Amino acid sequence: MPGKKLPLALLSPGDAARVVDVVGEGAFRRRLLDMGFIKGTFVRVIKHAPLRDPIEYCIGGTHVTLRRREAMHVVVEQVPVPSWCVRRPPHPWKRRYRWGFGGGRRWRKSGASG
Amino acid sequence: MAEKRRLRIALAGNPNSGKTSVFNSMTGARQKVGNWPGVTVEKKTGKVVHRGYEIEVVDLPGTYSLTAYSVEERVARSYLVEDKPDVVIHVIDSGNLARNLYLTVQLLELEVDLVLDLNMWDEFKDSGAELDIEKLHRLIGAPIVPTVGHRGEGVRQLLDAAIDLAEEREEHHRHVPISYGPHVNDVLVELVTLLEDYEALPPGYPRRWVAIKLLERDPEIAKLVSGDDARAREIRAAVDRAAEHMETATGSDPEKVISEGRYGYIEGALRQTLSEQKTDRMELSRRIDGVFTNRFLGYPIFLAFMWLLFQLTFRVGAYPMDWIESAVGWLARTVGGVLPPSLFSELIVDGVIGGVGAVAVFLPNIMILFLGVAFLEDSGYMSRAAFLMDRLMRALGLHGKSFIPMLMGFGCSVPAIMATRTLESRRDRILTILLVPLMSCSARLPVYLLIAGTFFAERAGSIVFAMYLIGVAVAMAVGRLLAATIFRSAAAPFVMELPPYRLPTAKGLLVHMWERSKVYLQKMGGVILIASIVLWFLGAFPRGMEMSRDYESEIAALRAVGTEEALDRASELASELEAERIENSFIGRAGKAVAPVMRPLGFTWEMGVGLITGFVAKEVVVSTLGVLYHVGGEDAEETQSLSEALRSPENGITPLAAFGFMIFVLLYTPCIVTVAAVRREAGTRWMWFSVGYQLALAWLASFAVYRIGSLMGLA
Repeated sequence: MPGKKLPLALLSPGDAARVVDVVGEGAFRRRLLDMGFIKGTFVRVIKHAPLRDPIEYCIGGTHVTLRRREAMHVVVEQVPVPSWCVRRPPHPWKRRYRWGFGGGRRWRKSGASG
Repeated sequence: MAEKRRLRIALAGNPNSGKTSVFNSMTGARQKVGNWPGVTVEKKTGKVVHRGYEIEVVDLPGTYSLTAYSVEERVARSYLVEDKPDVVIHVIDSGNLARNLYLTVQLLELEVDLVLDLNMWDEFKDSGAELDIEKLHRLIGAPIVPTVGHRGEGVRQLLDAAIDLAEEREEHHRHVPISYGPHVNDVLVELVTLLEDYEALPPGYPRRWVAIKLLERDPEIAKLVSGDDARAREIRAAVDRAAEHMETATGSDPEKVISEGRYGYIEGALRQTLSEQKTDRMELSRRIDGVFTNRFLGYPIFLAFMWLLFQLTFRVGAYPMDWIESAVGWLARTVGGVLPPSLFSELIVDGVIGGVGAVAVFLPNIMILFLGVAFLEDSGYMSRAAFLMDRLMRALGLHGKSFIPMLMGFGCSVPAIMATRTLESRRDRILTILLVPLMSCSARLPVYLLIAGTFFAERAGSIVFAMYLIGVAVAMAVGRLLAATIFRSAAAPFVMELPPYRLPTAKGLLVHMWERSKVYLQKMGGVILIASIVLWFLGAFPRGMEMSRDYESEIAALRAVGTEEALDRASELASELEAERIENSFIGRAGKAVAPVMRPLGFTWEMGVGLITGFVAKEVVVSTLGVLYHVGGEDAEETQSLSEALRSPENGITPLAAFGFMIFVLLYTPCIVTVAAVRREAGTRWMWFSVGYQLALAWLASFAVYRIGSLMGLA
């Protein structure tokens, strides 16, 4: 199921994706590889910092931050929202979106996961 | 065997893996903090006696990998390759096995004798996950010991395992060659045969590791085969061919393929041994972050924490500082009273006791600040603060974590510079150290108050505030300039982990605080003490100078008369004597010698001397001006007369020059203690750079103020 490829930086909080490639070179790319940004790994956008940069991601069960410019170097394809790195799914009859707290959209647990 | 057997153990591990707490519970208080040779990366060693072995434990810098790209990683790996510790203990955060095992794989590549320490085992078990330790042990060929570092659980077993391994009593121990997939494995075999008997390669370097590093295009390892002999050329050609082969076969370059191979190997091992955790340990942290890094609440909460830290450090810290000051003052008076007045007693009272006081007076600040910083770090909030502040700090070419040192700079540069230890990359650390002194410290305030109060009476408040803003603005300009020039190549990516929130332990915090304070006392105390004595000497000598008149007998004569008028005249003469003495001391001469340099700024020679004595501490500028303008001390009444003296036309200080003077005080080389701190944290070369650029900056800025202002007719 090859999805559209796009830079990780363009995803919104709550989105999930699979890493396709890490472009760039030297220390910077190596650091991303070392932190687990490896082809086939799943990554989820947790939240943007208040000034929209840097961005917090969940990858391999840990939370890491990347600057927007750096996240442009990670090529991903978007995948349906899986169950990992999710807070408890929202209560059915409570508000689905909450203002402020949580820093991002709330999501429903849905379909396919990695 | 009467003699104790020795063993050297190195601790490796990711940042946030609890390595420090394992190290602390392993070695207790028997630690030594120093630097790795040639670099300012902290090296901690400790000693422990276990089962008849005297074990030296070396704490390697926390790293995620072992590349040549960062100083920390280079330090760690060159220690492993060249100093060959007997056993390497890899401290692993059990809750994050995959990412931590990535370093394990690289340690296995280095063919070290490895013990895996599954730290934070309690959290791991609480999460409901299960790990087949026995099987993982067989798969990777290294003994595995679960521990809870901060409670010291499992640390003895860890030492047992290390000793067993050193005695080769460990059963599954073997160096497992890691499989990176067919494309890499074949290539590696070929390269290893070429490297096998290559004499120019140092014997300690595992051949397979060298082959891997050559494929990864590691610049340091590439140097090992950069020779001109036939074999080296052959090896280089083989590496190029192999890399090309891998590129065509896999479609990506070797570095990526090998990293993927490592993660693939780990995934394979974990699939057979780990059953996923049932609860997500980041769950609670994400909830807390819902508030702490919230779009609206994040900054207010952050500022509140910073305000608290600042107040604790400098407000609360002011009380013990006062006690220390009065204790030192009492000591000086007592000793001064006991010793007969002589050169020796002056040396003891003004030089030594004054110097000890100068050292001790910073201790409360440093202890409180580091207690707070340790709390922020151990709890996990520090990385959140960096996450919030990164965008803003980038305007200065800095890292998000630089905020705390910069903020502390408004209190005092010394603890602020020491707080740069929290920054992981050396580039960020040095750049922050260079910029911290531009944050206007509290010792500069008395100078601003005096000058602004004297020359800009009704606008004094705004002028003083402007000083702080100018400092920040200059720091931004200098930061951007340095980041774009000297520090351009080394820009490190902001790939930072946000660890789960944890409650820090009191022991951990106290150890951290004590460590910093010890470094301050041991490594900087001596320098500061000596510098204080030297400065005292320069201010007190030469002696026996020919004075313009015979003050002492005149004063004695007037005192003998005893009328009020005569006594007034006597104290007047005494302050004239003091002024003349300073004027003729080495410092005074230096001030006069630099007067030609100061004249273009509109400064008088008295101001020049003030700036030189300000090297001791910035507030000394005020008392020096007081002495030189014959008004003595620092109390309110005398400040009044000092203001009058400064303003009086015969001294020729224009308001414009006075403003330039404030700018100079803001920007020029900070006090001697700060210089000692810079030297300690960044090295001697950067110390000179810091001193030099600040002097140049201060002069140029004051010059610009005075000249441009004069042209605009503000003088």
